[in-house]
Amino acid sequence: MSPEPTASPAPSQGRTAPPAPTGRTRWWRSRAFDVIQFLVLGGGVVWLAVHGAAAMGYNWQWYRMPRFFWRVIDGELIWGPLMTGLAVTVELSIYAMVLTLAIGLVTALLRMSDSISGQILAKVYLEAIRNTPMLVQLLVFYFVIAPVVGIERFWTGVLCLGVFEGAFASEIIRAGINSVPRGQWEASASIGLKRLHTYRLVVLPQAVPLMLPPMTGVLINLIKHSAIVSVIAVFELTTEGRNIIADTFMSFEVWLTVAGVYLVITCSLSVVVGHLERRVARKD
Amino acid sequence: MNPYAESRRRLKPLDVVILSVVAAVVAFFFYKVNSVLAYEWDWSVIPRYLLRRDEESGALAPNLFVLGLLTTIRLAIWSLVLSAIIGGIMGVMRTSRRLFPRLLSRTYVELVRNTPPLVFIFVFYFFISSQIMPLLGVDALVTDASPVTATIIEWVASPPKLFENFLAGVICLSLFSGAYVTEIVRAGIQSIPRAQIEAGASIGLTRLKIMRLVVLPQALQRVIPPLAGQFIILIKDSSLVSLISIQELTFYALDIAVSTTRVFEVWIFVGALYFVICYACALVFDWLERRGQVYR
Repeated sequence: MSPEPTASPAPSQGRTAPPAPTGRTRWWRSRAFDVIQFLVLGGGVVWLAVHGAAAMGYNWQWYRMPRFFWRVIDGELIWGPLMTGLAVTVELSIYAMVLTLAIGLVTALLRMSDSISGQILAKVYLEAIRNTPMLVQLLVFYFVIAPVVGIERFWTGVLCLGVFEGAFASEIIRAGINSVPRGQWEASASIGLKRLHTYRLVVLPQAVPLMLPPMTGVLINLIKHSAIVSVIAVFELTTEGRNIIADTFMSFEVWLTVAGVYLVITCSLSVVVGHLERRVARKD
Repeated sequence: MNPYAESRRRLKPLDVVILSVVAAVVAFFFYKVNSVLAYEWDWSVIPRYLLRRDEESGALAPNLFVLGLLTTIRLAIWSLVLSAIIGGIMGVMRTSRRLFPRLLSRTYVELVRNTPPLVFIFVFYFFISSQIMPLLGVDALVTDASPVTATIIEWVASPPKLFENFLAGVICLSLFSGAYVTEIVRAGIQSIPRAQIEAGASIGLTRLKIMRLVVLPQALQRVIPPLAGQFIILIKDSSLVSLISIQELTFYALDIAVSTTRVFEVWIFVGALYFVICYACALVFDWLERRGQVYR
């Protein structure tokens, strides 16, 4: 941003000199003060929320939360509903990620193929996914496709998430493959490589490292979006949260805890993405 | 670039494979639906729930699908306005020289972007409906409104009875989408070359004036196309608030599907409806953007 106008001492000729810059920053300009301001404001917001809820007759019962994670009874560890829900979320996300990669790869290859019906099919798929809400897609999958194919709720969720994120993955894959310079393709053609060998030996080894950071981003989105399958009652984290609320009426505690669990997972994955991105940048 | 994409277009062996796979899938779908599930298609539900005959006057009146669609669009428009305000303020803060505003807006953006939309909407719905709404006294405001005001509210927002609910939905959606708008605004501001700011400083403008006269007018131009995209995203995301019982398209669709048991028709139609609206919006915005570039 622009330099502070007062910070540049103007050479004074005849007039009184402007006050000389003091050299040290004033205390209200220091970064520590900014951080303190931020903490005070954050604390104020939290206090207001807690106090306001209590004033509305809300009974905070944070002490009841830990046992929904795990309990130790007679020296035996018993996982609570939130942990089993988290396990289902992770399981769901892993299966869906595999499906996402498969669909993304096929769609990207179809879009880049020389077959016109392949290109149209890929394009129709991409536009259909991009232009409809995910919730409606899930409901279409649950009410229309699941009974036709005959799959249960968990796999319906996996299928829906995979199909949804596959559209984004395919664009990442396409961008990665297209970023390989033309000369590389021509070079492999000139040494007589078939198309399959060109992809396997020349293109993909160069494209995959580029795709890794955005693909991890897709995984983050997948974990976030997996919350939506709670609508069709797959017993993952969000559903378990809703069930606990139905039992205990602790809506604020449970929702904040569930949001916190998601935050921890996605933020730690974001750190991984940052690390991957820096590694790719360093290679260039 | 991948040279294979540019080769001549005629029917290849791959085309035959793809077309037969598509045909097989479609055939399987209809075989399963008609023969195995023995589903009786009855598309007449759709027009019946689009328009209805008014019992007294006999005139055509909008029915649930149309009402829901209108609510969806109103939700998206109001949320876009509100999230543009939130995003504008937060976006300017995000590029501030001071650490405090940057910390504040960064926290907001990261909190929103790293929680699932569904969980975010549930958290804020309980918070807003139990604390903010009584504080604002919206309920009293609407019930005391004159008939004229009530009609205006009905046209621009929702029926007065549901107004509080509608407002909660709008606030939830805009708090959520505000984080994305913040990033759009930040990108717009940061895309202004440094030289512009330095030029502003060199003719003696204060920092505020540089922002107001130099940076923002230019940033605004660059922010508008992604904001149009955000409108489409809002139309899509507004389906999520059906889960907190705001009566928009998806909410009514769930309702109609249950009450008529014409599940397949309703969901295929609703999916197609969302697609047509979003795709049409995308085409129009694209066209406007291209036209804007020609005239610039």
